[in-house]
Amino acid sequence: MSPAGQLLLPALVLLPLLALLPASWHGGGFDLIGQFLVAAVQPSTDPALIAASLRGIAVTVAVALWSWLFSLLLGVIGGVLSAEVVSRTLWGCSWPALLLRRVLAIPRSLHELLWGLILLQLLGLHPAVAVLAIALPYGALFARVVAEQLDGFPRRNLEALQLAGAPAPAALLMALSPPLWPQLLSYGGYRLECALRSATLLGVFGLGGIGADLRLALQSLQFHEVWTSLWLLASVMLALELVLARLRQRWQEPNSEVLVGFAALLLLLLPASRWLELRWQVLFSPWQWPEVLPLWDPNGWLQDWPQLIGSTLLLTALAALLAVALLPLLLLLLGPGRWPRLLLSACGLLARLLPPPLTALLLLFVLQPGLLPAVLALGIHNAGILGRLGLEGLDALPPQPAQALRLAGGSPRQVLLMAGFNGIGRSYLSFGAYRADVILRESVVVGLVGAGGLGVVLLESLSSFAWGEVLPVLVVYAALTLVGEQLADLYRRRLLSGPLPQEGCPPSASS
Amino acid sequence: MLLLAPVAPALASQVLRISAIPDQNPERLNRLYGLLAKELSDQLGVPVKYKPVVDYGAAVTGFRRGDLDLVWFGGLTGVQARLQTPGSKVIAQRDVDAKFRSVFIANQSAGLKPFSAQNDLQQLKGKRFAFGSESSTSGRLMPQYFLAQAGVTPKDFASGRPGFSGSHDATLALVQSGAYQAGALNGQVWDSRLKEGKVDTNKVVLLWRTPPYADYHWIAQGNLDQRFGAGFTGKLQQSLLNLSPSQPRQKTILELFAAGRFIPAKDADYANIEAVGRSLGKIR
Repeated sequence: MSPAGQLLLPALVLLPLLALLPASWHGGGFDLIGQFLVAAVQPSTDPALIAASLRGIAVTVAVALWSWLFSLLLGVIGGVLSAEVVSRTLWGCSWPALLLRRVLAIPRSLHELLWGLILLQLLGLHPAVAVLAIALPYGALFARVVAEQLDGFPRRNLEALQLAGAPAPAALLMALSPPLWPQLLSYGGYRLECALRSATLLGVFGLGGIGADLRLALQSLQFHEVWTSLWLLASVMLALELVLARLRQRWQEPNSEVLVGFAALLLLLLPASRWLELRWQVLFSPWQWPEVLPLWDPNGWLQDWPQLIGSTLLLTALAALLAVALLPLLLLLLGPGRWPRLLLSACGLLARLLPPPLTALLLLFVLQPGLLPAVLALGIHNAGILGRLGLEGLDALPPQPAQALRLAGGSPRQVLLMAGFNGIGRSYLSFGAYRADVILRESVVVGLVGAGGLGVVLLESLSSFAWGEVLPVLVVYAALTLVGEQLADLYRRRLLSGPLPQEGCPPSASS
Repeated sequence: MLLLAPVAPALASQVLRISAIPDQNPERLNRLYGLLAKELSDQLGVPVKYKPVVDYGAAVTGFRRGDLDLVWFGGLTGVQARLQTPGSKVIAQRDVDAKFRSVFIANQSAGLKPFSAQNDLQQLKGKRFAFGSESSTSGRLMPQYFLAQAGVTPKDFASGRPGFSGSHDATLALVQSGAYQAGALNGQVWDSRLKEGKVDTNKVVLLWRTPPYADYHWIAQGNLDQRFGAGFTGKLQQSLLNLSPSQPRQKTILELFAAGRFIPAKDADYANIEAVGRSLGKIR
């Protein structure tokens, strides 16, 4: 099937979702949704609240920055050491790299939220917990990307340098760092956006920052206060995305601007750390599991696993298909003009702005609890993320095929379909496969809408401090994620023979 | 832990760190505990800092780790925190907390009528039912207990499980909208929303008020006397009990707490909550 066809196929998921809609719709809280939307133009301007929101967003940004920095360090070091080419060149064998890869799969397999909850027990209530909770899985993911990139580069330069007698470390640096650089920059920049979203979500679950304000305000239905936080978050997120997109275009290779940019970021990190009162010594205090919370409870392992896993996977699959389907479908329906594009961008921003548990709560004002609101909440949030990558991909396509089709008399929609969708199809779908993986990890966060699954058990056990029940759920989650990651990789390998494109890498590198 | 003990007071310096479970909107919490911190600091002559916590579980963990000195807990979270933190003790509750109640409410379209016999809770079988937060005493633990007494377990609700809205206001909104046909929440929140005119009585109906039980309370760490000087815990308790409506700042604090006064409380007042918590698996 052509890439465009594969792009539109996931839209079939809308059929079962639409079929579920009439039974699920109650519409009783339609006035609340109305109030929520109206409040968008009347955010609360109470100075005390604005001050509190500014503090909140500062905490969130500070957590995002620090965790991002650590994940970069961990990612580059871990990535280089787990690349086969490095291991072979330095030690003449590849097992150290392969072993490290397996080790790094563990931090990656748990959602940052779960790391946050675990570290909270180990280290206590410190901002450093949120930083570390994001840095661990992000760093491991970054390491995987770096290692894949390194192993995907042609070896000729390296071999030539070695034949010329360059020592192994120098040869590696000379041969591999120039092609790695642009990937590192653009993927690294993209991860900063992700870190901002994760820091917000961690706030929703009690680790401070703007996410906490959002949750408490939304749960007490203070919509005007919700929007004060949302507008602040939106402006920070949009500014970050625009700056990073601009920089991605300009920084294809190292130049002095990059250094200035990094210096500026580092300067931001210092006030961020003072703001957070980050006390790093906390990390070096003994990591001791509290004796009052036994980790082992045989009964905890006796759960209805098939049912729990089944509903988690169903939720993941539906949400992932929805996330992939929305952009192509809406683009085709609305047409490729400038205004529809602007509308889609605005909706996408709102979608990725609101953490999924909060979207789920809003959806419950008009839908009955169950699978549908959970699928919609996860699907819409991730469609906001995927949509932006898709639109960027469309913008970056070479203009010639579209021009040729237009000259041949194709309508705008035909041009979009043939040139646009076929052009971005493979990379968009491969991002989608990766997103499915993320959604599996995220399915834990929409437990509140009563969709069942592992998330419900997890939240209930956590609130009982029954870590003997939490542990089995974490193990099952990790196993599912690792299997999911393998499947997503297989799919992506089939989709594109060659190095895997990563979300946030320039499209040129991914085709 | 023993090795760390001599270091801990130095790290914590001599600031009294107070906190509370987040059961209201953040703006109100910040105002309330900002005022209370000033008041306690003036009365006790030590610096007092409010450390906001935005999750019930995080408040318990923070207390167990010794990151918080004095915390306003709900019934269940308080017992959880005290059992996990040797030495800590209950020092006060509000006048309303000795006899706290929950309410069961329903959407009009669910076809349920107000009742006075507890056994009529059986009518809730097969309905879509919402609790508040998983850890809430008035929004979950005690309602579940009274349901169990009437022979209704969480599995009896539609789709085999209840929903957890996360807060009392959210439960009210979700039942009023019809997402859930019925739910249980804090009786005090219900009364004040009713008074504020935020309840649409055409859509939502009060089914039943539970018998009274003990709920919110202040819990202090056991090491305060060592850190702040002999008799400090007693002084702290006294300054909470002294808050009186005759002084403007104290009046505001009491109003924000929706309390007439604070009254002394002891661990034994929550033995019943502990028993219920154990019977429902919320305390292990």
